[in-house]
Amino acid sequence: MDDFLKFLEDEIQIIALSIMGIVYILKVIWLLKFKPIIEKTPAKGNESVGIGYSFMTIAMPWSMESSSKKFHKYLEFVIFHLGVAAAITASLIIPYWPQVMENGMILAIFQTIIAAAFLVGMIRLIRRISSQVMRIISSRDDYFSIILLNVWLLSAFFAIPNKNYWMLVAFFALTAFFLIYVPFSKISHYLLWPFSRYYLGKTLGHRGVYPKKTGS
Amino acid sequence: MSQEPIKSDKIEKALALFKKRMNRQAVLSFGVCVHCGMCTETCHYYEATKDPKMAPAYKADKVRKIYKKHFDWTGKIIPSWVGARDIKTEDDLKELVDVVFGSCTMCRRCTFNCPMGVDKALIMRTMRGVLTELDLAPQGVKDVSRDQWTIGNQMGVSDEDYLETIEWLNDELKTELDDPSASLPLDVENCNMVYAINPREIKYAPMSLLAAGKIFHAAGESWTLPSKGWDNTNFGLFSGDNALGGHMGKLVFENVQRLKGKSLVCSECGHGYRATKWESPNWSGIILEQPIYNFLEIMVDYVKSGRIKLDKTKNTEPVTYHDPCNLARSGGITEEPRFLLRQSIMDFREMYPNRADNWCCSGGGGAMSMSEFSKRRLEVAKVKADQLKATGAKIVATACHNCVDALMDLIRHYKLDMKVALVGELVANALVMERKAIPVMPAYAADSFLSGFRILVTDDEPDMVAFISAVLGDHGAEILRASNGDEALSILRKEKPSMMTLDLSMPGKTGVEVYEEMKNDKFLKDIPVFIITGQPELRKLIYDGSYPPPNGYVDKPIDEEKLLLNVRKILNLQHEKT
Repeated sequence: MDDFLKFLEDEIQIIALSIMGIVYILKVIWLLKFKPIIEKTPAKGNESVGIGYSFMTIAMPWSMESSSKKFHKYLEFVIFHLGVAAAITASLIIPYWPQVMENGMILAIFQTIIAAAFLVGMIRLIRRISSQVMRIISSRDDYFSIILLNVWLLSAFFAIPNKNYWMLVAFFALTAFFLIYVPFSKISHYLLWPFSRYYLGKTLGHRGVYPKKTGS
Repeated sequence: MSQEPIKSDKIEKALALFKKRMNRQAVLSFGVCVHCGMCTETCHYYEATKDPKMAPAYKADKVRKIYKKHFDWTGKIIPSWVGARDIKTEDDLKELVDVVFGSCTMCRRCTFNCPMGVDKALIMRTMRGVLTELDLAPQGVKDVSRDQWTIGNQMGVSDEDYLETIEWLNDELKTELDDPSASLPLDVENCNMVYAINPREIKYAPMSLLAAGKIFHAAGESWTLPSKGWDNTNFGLFSGDNALGGHMGKLVFENVQRLKGKSLVCSECGHGYRATKWESPNWSGIILEQPIYNFLEIMVDYVKSGRIKLDKTKNTEPVTYHDPCNLARSGGITEEPRFLLRQSIMDFREMYPNRADNWCCSGGGGAMSMSEFSKRRLEVAKVKADQLKATGAKIVATACHNCVDALMDLIRHYKLDMKVALVGELVANALVMERKAIPVMPAYAADSFLSGFRILVTDDEPDMVAFISAVLGDHGAEILRASNGDEALSILRKEKPSMMTLDLSMPGKTGVEVYEEMKNDKFLKDIPVFIITGQPELRKLIYDGSYPPPNGYVDKPIDEEKLLLNVRKILNLQHEKT
């Protein structure tokens, strides 16, 4: 491995990751400066159960009409995020445990997941462009983020066999860029998501709304 | 190069208020949306119109853009990248009024379907609060809020009217139950329950209060109505005005404490219960020591403990249940009404989707008070209308007076063969009284209790005149008939009837014009007027006017029982036994 690629896979990633971490810490501190709405009344339900239920909706597509009626969109969500997780994992495996990807089965699993995520990403991009509703609610950041993620997934697919020099450069350069860009874009939704679901679950659990009753 | 418009004081104030109202949950709801579009088809505004501008994410973005401009780190530096935009002109403020008041009922259905947990109702309410403080809220919202601030209830009911109505209903209850011990107690101290109601029960729907009286009496409950602080409704929830929200809660709580009640019970009003039990303590910091219940919870307890017995054969028509948003999605009440209905009716038919997934009645969020958006409200009510129709039920029960009004309106608009009833009314009708039998509604036999009264019936539809005349005439009233406004005024001047029924929409001189003319005529102004209309939105023309409000109203198609009950009330008649 030449020095440039090593530098890109290691030091640059650590620097980028540190920047992301610092920005995230600052963002959380900033968020916590806003006072939360506190439920002051005696509870009818159970806040902890409500919070748990709120988080678990991600794994319960039947709990929301939006995902139960359009199950394919839920599947897209799962595949896309698994692909992103696989690409992130690969970005750590390649520099530090490169022998892992020498196992043909593991490589095939990673590539399959990432390829599927890329296809879903393309479907999402096409939908954002072709659907009138999606167009009207989309910002430049929405388009840029999905395009960039698709390119990144594609580069990951070709990079993880750890053989193609330029693909590795592209993948790690894009990863570093992402680590710095993400905190300032919609992709950072995963940072706010736990807070958002926590407070919604807390309120609805307190009032006995969550867990949602489905009837007998 | 285009120059950015100079901000007016109003815009500066709007931005300052917006910043002031920001809290952690709001920041999260503004910041976490990924524009996935999963909420789109969960909104009845979008479902009915398929207009992309009615997608919840789009509507929320109208407010979110401002957040992005002033709070989002990227939005502050590169606004166009994340869709950030400032309020630039007063037209922007007007557009916001249309979005947050006219295109969203804050029903929270989209929130429950958002993978990210974005509370779009919170986003809308945040901006509603800003616009209300700027005096830009729709006139109906302002009027109702003003009445709550100044008179203490949302329909401007005077103390005298309130007390008179209670007294009259008290007599009705005794007569109907044939039991002198039955009563609607007022200001009794140390009761188990202080019962706070919706002013609609005093003004237009006394049957629900009568039903509650019967149920409390049958259960042998120690309860009371307060003479002050009796309005459980709260327009602060709809207008975004936390100060009003806290004020209304405080009024109710103070009177529970004054009467040393052991608990507070809210009558069947979705937003009233939510605001009183859950929201107003958060807004004002004032927490009632006594527990707060919904009347549904109390009735369930009565049935389960055997304090009341129900005979479901008294309600034979198929009934479905509409979940009020504020009970199902924000109040935690979904099973109680179903339990009660299964105990008190023969044929209960679930509607789909239901409970927290149920569709909004289309009149939530104060929409019924905003006549400028009535057309859109009725258009998007098609989703609810289709849902109702699919049940095949003849009665839609609900537990919210606001939903009752909205459902009646859409049933009329979409010509559904259905009636609306509150759960408590159906329970009361199924009551088995241990001591004396309760007459099954309708309680009025063809007696002559209207004998000696002359009633002018004014309507341009001959069928309607014939129907009203037959109902009132069968009970002894002498009927005068007018088919237009001019004829009505002429008869009024000549005959001086005891009261008149007035249709609002007539060719030539409209009912509104007749009403105004009457109120300007010293000989006619005291003749009681009962509005009967097929276009409820027209009522606003009268209620928003500078004249005293009419003595009552009923919507078409006319419920005979409601007509008779209201005429009794207006003529201050005791209910004679049948």
